[in-house]
Amino acid sequence: MPRLLLAWAAFAVIMLLLPQVVSPGTLRIIIFANFLAIFAMSWDFISGKTGYISFGHPFLIGIGAYTSAILSYRFGVPVSLSIPLAVLATMIGGTLFFLPALRIKGTYFALVTLAFMELMYQLVQVIRPDLTGGTRGISGIKTILSGAVPNFYLSFGLMFAIALALWLLSRTRIGTALDAISMNEEAVSGSGLNTTRLKLFAFMVSALVAGLGGAFYAHYLGSIAPRALFDINFVFTIIVSALIGGSSTVIGPIIGAYFMTFLLEYLRPVLPGSERYLVYGLIALVLYVYQPKGIMELLRKLGVRAGGGRTGRAGNV
Amino acid sequence: MSSLLVLDNVVKRFGGIVATNGLSFHVDRGESLALIGPNGAGKTTIFSLIMGEHRQNSGTIKLNGEEISNLPTHKRIQKGVARTYQVPRPFSEMDVAGNIRVGMMPDNLWQMITRGADPDGELAIARSVGFRDADLSRKPSELSMGDLRKLELARTLATRPEVMLLDEVFAGLTVGEIEQISHLLAEKRKQGLTYIIVSHDLRALEPLVDRAVAMTFGKAIAEGSFSDVMDDEAVRSAYLGQ
Amino acid sequence: MLQVLIQGFLLSGLYALIAVGFTLIFSVGRVLNLAYGAYLMIGGYAYFYMVQTLGMPKLPGFLFAIGMGALAGVLMYRILVKRLKGDQVAVEISTLILAVVIQAGIVLVFNDSSKILHPIVDGVWRIGSTTITNNILVAMVASWFILGGLLLFVKKTHVGRAMQAVSMDAKGARISGINTDRVNMMTWAISGALGAVAGVFFASYTQLNPSMWVAPLIIAVAVVIVGGIGSIVGTLIVAHIIGFMEIITTTFIAAELRGVFTMLLIIGVLVIRPQGLFGRGDL
Repeated sequence: MPRLLLAWAAFAVIMLLLPQVVSPGTLRIIIFANFLAIFAMSWDFISGKTGYISFGHPFLIGIGAYTSAILSYRFGVPVSLSIPLAVLATMIGGTLFFLPALRIKGTYFALVTLAFMELMYQLVQVIRPDLTGGTRGISGIKTILSGAVPNFYLSFGLMFAIALALWLLSRTRIGTALDAISMNEEAVSGSGLNTTRLKLFAFMVSALVAGLGGAFYAHYLGSIAPRALFDINFVFTIIVSALIGGSSTVIGPIIGAYFMTFLLEYLRPVLPGSERYLVYGLIALVLYVYQPKGIMELLRKLGVRAGGGRTGRAGNV
Repeated sequence: MSSLLVLDNVVKRFGGIVATNGLSFHVDRGESLALIGPNGAGKTTIFSLIMGEHRQNSGTIKLNGEEISNLPTHKRIQKGVARTYQVPRPFSEMDVAGNIRVGMMPDNLWQMITRGADPDGELAIARSVGFRDADLSRKPSELSMGDLRKLELARTLATRPEVMLLDEVFAGLTVGEIEQISHLLAEKRKQGLTYIIVSHDLRALEPLVDRAVAMTFGKAIAEGSFSDVMDDEAVRSAYLGQ
Repeated sequence: MLQVLIQGFLLSGLYALIAVGFTLIFSVGRVLNLAYGAYLMIGGYAYFYMVQTLGMPKLPGFLFAIGMGALAGVLMYRILVKRLKGDQVAVEISTLILAVVIQAGIVLVFNDSSKILHPIVDGVWRIGSTTITNNILVAMVASWFILGGLLLFVKKTHVGRAMQAVSMDAKGARISGINTDRVNMMTWAISGALGAVAGVFFASYTQLNPSMWVAPLIIAVAVVIVGGIGSIVGTLIVAHIIGFMEIITTTFIAAELRGVFTMLLIIGVLVIRPQGLFGRGDL
């Protein structure tokens, strides 16, 4: 435990020193990576841990983003109030998201979440376009900070706090119980545990994180539009980040988000056109099919080989 | 003193098939009961009904005098029943200690977060079913069938059941492993554990139980001491298949 | 009223055509192919390339589209799905990734601007005050023919019956000496070809663009979910439920809400009756 905490601290220090060495352009990329990491962690807390795959995570993120944007842009609510309210709204939305999980799982659950996202996409454009901005969305949303460096610190601080909290949470017995649900849900209730309550808890935590991320994201971008938000490509990026990094861990989605973001960036000089997305997708596909447990597992295996078969329990890093 | 677990006139139909047909039996505290009968007699269905994995169409199931038929599975476990399965179903990615940990958890989110695991308790339970200390960090994929049965017992015991339902605990085991598990159950019985056991291995069963209930086609056809039941005309013809 | 009826049948016919290939994979292989929408895109673009870029006649264009769709199906099965050994969630996730990859590939070859596909059949029909294009009429008729043909194929031919057997019980089929791997591959090829045909019609009804795969995928998903694990007749029925629901919504409520009710129907059916309206049927 202390050694791992030290690793967390080292990670924080390196990141905090980063603005001294890299350009604002790179920082902006990292800001996106930070937000993506938040979304991927949120996804992973439902899907990686309990095994209920969500294909509609932008539904939750969108509630957070839209609620805060509407409150602050249309009603002049200060950001310090609109964000908590947005998180609350997202958690209520998360309860809705949770209902199907009472009856269905696996493939069907994934599809119902996809339907939720599409529903949201269409509703946002139709219901009260005077509030949501309809198809065009909302622009001119109040930003919290300006400039790459302050926004970098903000996004990193948020991401780091969420990561640390989720990491500590998954080290408790509740983390073990949620992991157990993905392995054999019947045996968890057979151990006397109320799986409905456990799942609801996971959904609430996930919604909380998605709401926080979504709201801050809207206030960072300054604009939101339904097509960019409720988009299957966005789902793809979130899921792939979590899976590529290593599902059911906390550090995995962060690694995945950074990896995916930087992969896309570093392909830019080599492949300036749209080939980039093709290569990007192919790499994701090959990595997923070859090692479904992600980069974390690859690293662990390499570590085991290098360490001469050291079999120490890594735990949920 | 009333019985610990009482089934009264329980009926369960799956579509047109009557799996349990007005079955009644009871088990007293500290008693051990064998449930015997040919394949398809409905023994496993009884366990599923007691655990709430299926709901009976009619009849009552009482634990400590309290009707439990309307409770969800996890509540029934909290009331003091637990079962093992014919095919062991451990948490595949967790080691032995982790599997026991899930069994020991309180059904309380706050306590699950704020209070840590109890490694000593896990060790004690693992030892009580015959695991060695080094086994605690082994994964189910590394365990033999006998060890998987032990893990199943350990995880179930971790819920502190008053009565345990043991489904085919000897299936797929070597002679040595059967002996080991038998020994273990005899030990638990001496310590006062109540259990109902289903097995095809009648020879292994006999020394482990106080009483037996024989059933066929979802109905009890004989009840009494193990040898009396085995000598019963109806039981013999049921087993031989008329 | 007449207009609603006519448009309802036309749209439903198109939806049935879109969904049937997806249903097929779901029944036989027990997996959801989220790259199914990409077949439609491949078919549409292949036809566009042959007919409108190279100026070939329509028939070879159609055949080329079908060939490309079938090829895509076979490759998907061989390279991806077979490796994942029926792990449903893994297939779903990897086909989703694949769909995005194919989308990127289309952008690369054809760039990401929308393209108009000329009608496959020109001209219009008038019934009372309603005007319908021959194009969508042909799509509907083709849809009926294809579904009918597929039904005959499944019931009457050896391969079709083998597909039925695998859909009921893959293990049992294997024990009975059916080469399930071959049957699966055939199914993926047929599914790809059906998708490509649907894609040509769908694209001529709307337009070609690299994200056109999402809408038909959602229609296919909706049909499969609402209908249950797919019988061909069930597909036809549910396509009509959804088609008519959309037309009625468009005509009497608001055009923008047409998709909303479809989504609500999906969610409602999944939550209330997860096995679908018609449950598990044979092919």
